[in-house]
Amino acid sequence: MSSVSPPALCALLSGDEAIARGAFEAGVLVATAYPGTPSTEILEALTECPGLRAQWAPNEKVALEVALGAALAGARAMASMKHVGLNVASDTLVTASYTGVRGGLVVVSADDPGMHSSQNEQDNRHYAHLAKIPLLEPSDSQEAKDFAVLGFELSEQFDTPVLLRITTRTAHSKSLVRLGERTERAAEGFSRDPAKTVMVPAHARRRHELVEARMAKLAEYAETCPLNRIERGDGRTGVIVSGIAYQYVKEVRPRASVLKLGLTHPLPERLIRRFARSVERLYVVEELDPFIEGQVRAMGVKLARAPTQARTGELSPSAVARFLGVRRRKSRAGAADLPPRPPTLCPGCGHRALLTVLKGLKVFVSGDIGCYTLGVQPPLRTMDTCVCMGASIGVAHGIEKVSGRSDNIVAVIGDSTFVHSGITPLIDVIYNRGATTVIILDNETVAMTGHQDHPGTGKTASGEPTHRLLLEDICRAVGVKHVSVVDPYDLRSTRELVRAALQRSEASVVIARRRCVLLDRGRVRRPFRVDAEQCVGCGQCLAHGCPAIADVTPPGSRRKQVRIVPELCAGCGVCAQICPEGAIVEAASGE
Amino acid sequence: MSRITNVAIAGVGGQGIILAGDIVAQAARSAGHDVKKNEVHGMAQRGGAVVSEIRYGKRIYSPLIPDGEVDVLMALELLEGLRHAHRVRAGGMVIANELRLPPAVRVPDSPEYPDDITERLRGAAENVAVVPAAELARRAGNARAANTILIGVLSRFVDLPVDAWKSALRMCLRPSLLEVNLLAFDLGRRRRKTAKR
Repeated sequence: MSSVSPPALCALLSGDEAIARGAFEAGVLVATAYPGTPSTEILEALTECPGLRAQWAPNEKVALEVALGAALAGARAMASMKHVGLNVASDTLVTASYTGVRGGLVVVSADDPGMHSSQNEQDNRHYAHLAKIPLLEPSDSQEAKDFAVLGFELSEQFDTPVLLRITTRTAHSKSLVRLGERTERAAEGFSRDPAKTVMVPAHARRRHELVEARMAKLAEYAETCPLNRIERGDGRTGVIVSGIAYQYVKEVRPRASVLKLGLTHPLPERLIRRFARSVERLYVVEELDPFIEGQVRAMGVKLARAPTQARTGELSPSAVARFLGVRRRKSRAGAADLPPRPPTLCPGCGHRALLTVLKGLKVFVSGDIGCYTLGVQPPLRTMDTCVCMGASIGVAHGIEKVSGRSDNIVAVIGDSTFVHSGITPLIDVIYNRGATTVIILDNETVAMTGHQDHPGTGKTASGEPTHRLLLEDICRAVGVKHVSVVDPYDLRSTRELVRAALQRSEASVVIARRRCVLLDRGRVRRPFRVDAEQCVGCGQCLAHGCPAIADVTPPGSRRKQVRIVPELCAGCGVCAQICPEGAIVEAASGE
Repeated sequence: MSRITNVAIAGVGGQGIILAGDIVAQAARSAGHDVKKNEVHGMAQRGGAVVSEIRYGKRIYSPLIPDGEVDVLMALELLEGLRHAHRVRAGGMVIANELRLPPAVRVPDSPEYPDDITERLRGAAENVAVVPAAELARRAGNARAANTILIGVLSRFVDLPVDAWKSALRMCLRPSLLEVNLLAFDLGRRRRKTAKR
């Protein structure tokens, strides 16, 4: 064991925290983001840093535009988002490539191979290709910090936004990082240069020429860029690799020669050819799409015959070992007979109460992105579509246009998701004379990503008070005549409001407002209990899937027996309203 | 070549797995090792299964523990321990809290919560310690220090000096919780009869 203590200025940071640290050290003045796993912690860490503005934007497109504006005004700026967030911001990104920057602009895309917390596993390296901008792929936290710093320098040197792409494993793994000092960089402010910053066709045509020339210069730079390096091994096997896959290759094949690429767009063609000539068998190891492999093959470089790499899911050391033909001890299989433990809505969650009402009304539910998407699971099973942020309202409206009915479908969308991209589809519903029922599940926070603020909470990312966007005001302003607010814990009122909305021939919005129970922990409510005398064993209380209600039916018994676990019960009383026998009652104090 | 130590911590979202992982990683760091720690958060927090992995040694590459190379599996809950028991290497160890937490929601047609987890853990790993962590934590003064009891037990089976553990507890915990957790750590560490060695 080494007895050397780590240097004092060394910290165990996640990739996200390291990127934030890199941005801080690089003198970033403006950082913006919309929360999204696995990128959220980047901006959260920046809110703790002095000397810069770190703020949540209503969505990723706005975040990138604010960062672009700051960069055009000469500041170093960063926008961070999850992979699907870059779809939202892509319109800005592709033309920001034409305008270029003044201060450095780094766009962070946190991809999620394996879909730990996402609706798809797109490979965002393709955006670098599409937008014709440089792409950096760090493989651990130290690189995440260093690449962020270099990203700002490259951005300024080549007058381009830079895409810094991480994945869940780099974002959420912690490793040691050497900390540096912040270098302050003043911004000179915006100055007029319409040929650069006004993208009308005449200007954009000239800018596109410059973009192509920039790519040629970047390709030349890539040949000698310190992020692209050869690690000479035993000479016979060579691996071209980037990102987290580098760590897996070093783990399972420590003696292989490695061409480690940190700058992966544009690729260093001469370096790749030189490396290929120096080894007998050449492999490309990468997660998701054959982004590097396809280009290497197009160069006419011959790759070794190898098993096909999976284009789905995450890589692992074992998967890389199989691909490279490394023999490893056979691993044991896990037990196949264990009950799964999926995530669930919390006891006392207002979403569960609302979804219980919708289940009873037997309507189709056009869903959205948030905790409430968990409603697709048994026993609630009240989600029929979920595509992307904000899709619920447009999809419901489209279904309605075909079925000709608006009395059997609702759109459900969270408060922050509504602000993100639910307002424009609601305008569409009104404009095109739809009768859609929209339910905004307002828990007054971005819950799923860990309780961030948004324009509807009345607080900024750093906790300062600000104007609170009232969702009911927005809905009325776009022309919704029937807007109501209800506490979803009150099942009867909620049911009546939704039923009335469904039957109306005009669009309605029901705002089901109940603060996220995890934010309300301090508030002690008395737990409920089951009165065994009154309980008839119908099991209806189990049908809304509250984790605090335990099924303790003895094996073989047809009559259900339930117990409410007092340590878990949030005291919301929803189950007491569901019980047809009145057998669920508030526990006496001290019970 | 100096050996790499791989510790996996498994449990249910909300049990404090990520904090426990931070403590182990900081202890390894305080002892001068290279460290990597990895876990997935996000959706898994809502009562789902969560696992944190810590690797330390002279130089660590993969943040993921390769298949079958877990030296010590620390399970904050029995079922989650069994779910990862096959990843423990030959001669490796399982330290399990004796807590049984059935999944919050029963997936239809899924198997029952097993009754024989302790026996099955003993079949899967050579050294198994089942620890009444909540009871010991109550003795230390707070039932919520159960994870620190398990960390105390863990500290006897991995090669890190006791000062490194205590400095990690000081770094990772709020000052108001420190005293009870230092006590819990000692209780776990002093516990005899934890395993046949």
